[in-house]
Amino acid sequence: MISKIFSSKVFEILIKIFPLVIFSFSLWIFLGMIDDWGRLSGSIDNLFIFIEESLWPPDWSVIEPQAYPVCTTYPLFDFTCSTAWIGLIETLKIAFVSTVFGMILSLPISLFAARNLNPWWLSYSSRFLLASFRSLPSIIWAIFFVILVGFGPLSGVLAMTVYTVGYLGKLQYEAIEGMNKTPLYSAQSMGLSKFETAFHVVIPESANDLISQAIFMFEYNFRHGTVIGIVGAGGIGYYINLYLKFLQYDKVIAYLILIFFVVLIIDLISIFARSLFTEGRDMKRPTWLGVLLPAGLLKK
Amino acid sequence: MEVNPIEPLVKLSNIEIGYNSDEPLVKIPNLEIFPGEIVAIAGPSGVGKTTLLRTIAGLVRPISGNLEVCGVINPIKQKKGILGYIPQRLGLVRHTSVLHNVMIGANAGHNKSIGSIIPSKVAKKNALEAIESMGLSEKIKEPVRKLSGGQQRRVATARTLSQKPSLIMADEFLSELDEETMSMVLSKVTEYIRGSGASLLVVEHDISRAKSMADRLLVIDDGRINPFIREVTAMEVKI
Repeated sequence: MISKIFSSKVFEILIKIFPLVIFSFSLWIFLGMIDDWGRLSGSIDNLFIFIEESLWPPDWSVIEPQAYPVCTTYPLFDFTCSTAWIGLIETLKIAFVSTVFGMILSLPISLFAARNLNPWWLSYSSRFLLASFRSLPSIIWAIFFVILVGFGPLSGVLAMTVYTVGYLGKLQYEAIEGMNKTPLYSAQSMGLSKFETAFHVVIPESANDLISQAIFMFEYNFRHGTVIGIVGAGGIGYYINLYLKFLQYDKVIAYLILIFFVVLIIDLISIFARSLFTEGRDMKRPTWLGVLLPAGLLKK
Repeated sequence: MEVNPIEPLVKLSNIEIGYNSDEPLVKIPNLEIFPGEIVAIAGPSGVGKTTLLRTIAGLVRPISGNLEVCGVINPIKQKKGILGYIPQRLGLVRHTSVLHNVMIGANAGHNKSIGSIIPSKVAKKNALEAIESMGLSEKIKEPVRKLSGGQQRRVATARTLSQKPSLIMADEFLSELDEETMSMVLSKVTEYIRGSGASLLVVEHDISRAKSMADRLLVIDDGRINPFIREVTAMEVKI
């Protein structure tokens, strides 16, 4: 009966128009949200006024050394005493530490969460745990840990670690579930224990995916690390929040431009590093030029 | 495991195997495999040879009937190291070295390795011997994914030999090998079977090759709703 429904012509037509139905539905919801179309018409003018009066040009004094404490480094490197440098380095530290801690904690949980290795009750309870870590965004975790341990990078590290466990754990158990089943069959027929199977077969077989995901998570944590400082959990977000309060948007835009370039650099390094751990590595390892230049330009 | 030469290592009686209880793939009234025996199972593809092997390995539950493997009745999980299985797709950890893969088998076979994490000297020795016997000493540190199909088959065979199991089950383990390598691999496996009193149960689609290596040849007949397994005499084999 069910197979007849799926193979019917009506069902085929329904499948074809399904994207159109979804789009129409979302458009209908959107139109229901708008009460005054006039608010949209003035938005472009508002943007130009905002850029002209408050945002541009950026105030690059954020990369100059602070007045206090006195900068004692070599003059060429006095930018290392600036709020921008201090904030960015702190954000990078938070992102790095929380990625490493998060990976160490999430790996055992994701091994329990994988359905191809465990009974359903263990896998679903582990998934529930990971989902609970992931359900709150890192900024809410940051507020929670600021209340618990006070302002500073410690609450940032704790917040990002908890979120990393939830997010990375999900990626990890999906990678483990997607691995080839035959090595697992061999391990099972050899009589290996669950721990031995995980240690000798599952982790090595999915290592490339796990490493690639950890690199992606570091990049993700840096981007989110810039936000958690707004609630006092350390990093460059602290300074952004400070200047937002004083309405010094020209300094804020300077920080945002710096963050954009650091994210871009991390992104490029991440693409390159992850490419080393993917399947096609033996056939074609990307060059730095290949990472930096658009594909079309490279072909020429 | 101590092997009793009188007791069969594998005993199947009135067994039905497959994935669907309404349509069993193969029915086996009675089959016994004794220590030191090499038994080949042949038949056309899709007839249920691999499923039979996987059932004996404890990876698929029989639909009905009794199965006894190395003293364990209807095994879901075998005793560690007793059974060596070379699947058709080999089941190797592709991103790690030849040594790592062979050590998995060696550790399983030698229980004194601490949780199979810190290998014992004996396990390491067994692994190195098996790698050498398969002619892979020069590839010992090479990741498995970089090896050719035939070399990967030899790694899987070395993993099983280093385990020193009581029963080896191999699914088309000689395919992709050239004549010279094939006879070398077969002679090493046969040497182990004859010397240790273990058994080899091998699935092979090429009947003439199956007959040349085996003491007994079993064929799963096709063309029936429920194919059954039968023993083939030398007269029946068309070479």
